[in-house]
Amino acid sequence: MTLEHNILDVQDFCVDYGYGESAVRAVSDVSFTLGASRVLGVAGESGSGKSTLVYGLTRLLRAPGVISDGEVTFTIGAEGDQRAFDLLAATEQDLRAIRWSHISIVLQSALSALNPMRRIGREFDEVLRTHDKNSSKESRHERAIELLAMVGLDADRLDRFPHELSGGQRQRIMIAMALALRPELVIMDEPTTALDVVTQREIVSELYELRRQLGFAMIFITHDLSLLVELADEIMVMYAGHIVERAAATDLYHAPRHPYTLGLMNSFPPLHGERKELSGIPGTPPDLKSLPAGCSFSPRCAYAMDICHSSKPPLVPVDETGRLAACWLHDPSHSHSVPVELARKHVRGVEAQ
Amino acid sequence: MRVILRRLGVYAFTAWVTITVNFILPRLMPGNPFDQIAAKLTGVVTAQELQAIKIQLGGDINQPMIEQYWHYLNQLAHFNLGVSITLSSPVSTILAGQIWWTVGLIGVAAVLSFLIGTVLGVVFGWMRGSRADNVIPVATFLQSVPYYFLGTVLIMAFASHWHFFPLENAYDLSITPGWHWDFISSLLRHSELPILSIVLSSLAGWMLGMRNMMVTIAGEDFVLMAVAKGLPRRRVIWHAARSAILPSIANFTLAIGLLVSGSLLVEQIFNYPGVGNLILEAVGGEDYPLIQGIFLLITFTVLGASFLADILYYVLDPRIRTATAH
Repeated sequence: MTLEHNILDVQDFCVDYGYGESAVRAVSDVSFTLGASRVLGVAGESGSGKSTLVYGLTRLLRAPGVISDGEVTFTIGAEGDQRAFDLLAATEQDLRAIRWSHISIVLQSALSALNPMRRIGREFDEVLRTHDKNSSKESRHERAIELLAMVGLDADRLDRFPHELSGGQRQRIMIAMALALRPELVIMDEPTTALDVVTQREIVSELYELRRQLGFAMIFITHDLSLLVELADEIMVMYAGHIVERAAATDLYHAPRHPYTLGLMNSFPPLHGERKELSGIPGTPPDLKSLPAGCSFSPRCAYAMDICHSSKPPLVPVDETGRLAACWLHDPSHSHSVPVELARKHVRGVEAQ
Repeated sequence: MRVILRRLGVYAFTAWVTITVNFILPRLMPGNPFDQIAAKLTGVVTAQELQAIKIQLGGDINQPMIEQYWHYLNQLAHFNLGVSITLSSPVSTILAGQIWWTVGLIGVAAVLSFLIGTVLGVVFGWMRGSRADNVIPVATFLQSVPYYFLGTVLIMAFASHWHFFPLENAYDLSITPGWHWDFISSLLRHSELPILSIVLSSLAGWMLGMRNMMVTIAGEDFVLMAVAKGLPRRRVIWHAARSAILPSIANFTLAIGLLVSGSLLVEQIFNYPGVGNLILEAVGGEDYPLIQGIFLLITFTVLGASFLADILYYVLDPRIRTATAH
């Protein structure tokens, strides 16, 4: 692939729920960039702000969610002919033009994401017609069949209502629909969480294959790190609205640097490799209304030191590779030694893909 | 289709029960219609006349019950509901003459109110959280004003005091009814205030119901998806409204069922002809055949309306269609 530009550039992005005094910060100072055709995984427990982040970026937040700060630049087009959009300043009309043609989204529950009153075919037709008014009904129908074939479904599914299909079929339909207009960026908000492991597995490999063919960039949200390591180039772990760690997928998976990442990994059985005891993370995600002082994770952290309870660790590079983590353990001026689980060597050479 | 037939069976059974109760009830009451009429007759009454009245009222009362019942069903099948005592003409003819006033006035008002209320509900539901929410207390107030009070105040203000509208009747009684403009315009003029009063008092209910459903449905993922797909706003609203309207449609068909009985107040207040006024006359005059006829008419409109509701739901909601087919 040639030199890639950044399709998405996010700086100091903040989302609040509510206004003024009662406002709760759900996403706090998040910055990242996403290269065209790259996959960014976002992991974290429920309530960590990962979904709020992407709804905010795509301006799909509903009241009382408000974007309170930040900059989001979305850039499309080949080299030399690039168009950049300031997503936070875009008008409703600009957004309508960008939505689905350039950025599409797949939600966790395909059953509720499909209009229960409509046949699948009509949903496809509507989205294709909206973005290409001159297309003929036949061509749209052809395209819908082609899209279904891409996710391994027969054309007769077009005549069905959502409630007549299985969970896996519905999610495949959502994925097919997300790809209908060949968008540059597809956002997947826990697309496999509501499915059984076998279907989950199938859909992940299909996504992998589709991405290889079509080359769209993807933000994949999940709480299952083992799933992400196969799909993502880079993984971002969120806790209480903050990014706590960000690194290349394999680095993060094989050598986590933040105690929370380690905890997340121990909460899921690995798809491959030896069996390990699942330890999970003690305690519950914090109440965003009353975050603990210092590091938000400190009350649940097995390695917490005095400073963790009083001062918030910045997201900084923790080694020569430039990977980021927000943890005092990696700051020599506060910590004498890093716990061995958080200091594993990188497995170089097995970089994703 | 089988589902509809099965529902139809249930309604047929209900109709039969209604008809039978309509037959039994008057016979359980102390005294009987025949005595009532006989007591009202003045002058010399011959035995023949008495016998004639008996037959008029649905057969010889001395016949065995089962034969009377059979006779009654037979008469009913021929739309023969007997002869009104007070008005001295066949009940079916009287009802046929009066029902159109009720359907014309209250039916039109109900449809108008439903349409306007639902559209307003969609709009205000979509604009939730904005200043448009101020409409809720106003609507709740309108909804809680009793109809007879609202109607009376409207008459006092706009017909009696300011003379914007005619006071009473369905048309200017000095005009001979017929297909000419004078009559039709008079008819329309006289229906304005009653329709306005009905719409005003029932609009809020439709509006609030639709608004609440819209707010609920607008929170659904598929509406969010419609936005994410870049659909124009009216299409997004349509996605939500199509689902939100289902309960309103069911309620509307049920409201049609109550139309006949609900006409009583309107027709009294505006001195408008129709079944509502007829009910009062019939009860006041102890006119048994007429009361029975109206009773049948009311139950059959209620039954018909709920059957309509069933069919509409079946047609409009694919989930029900599938659930009932298997």
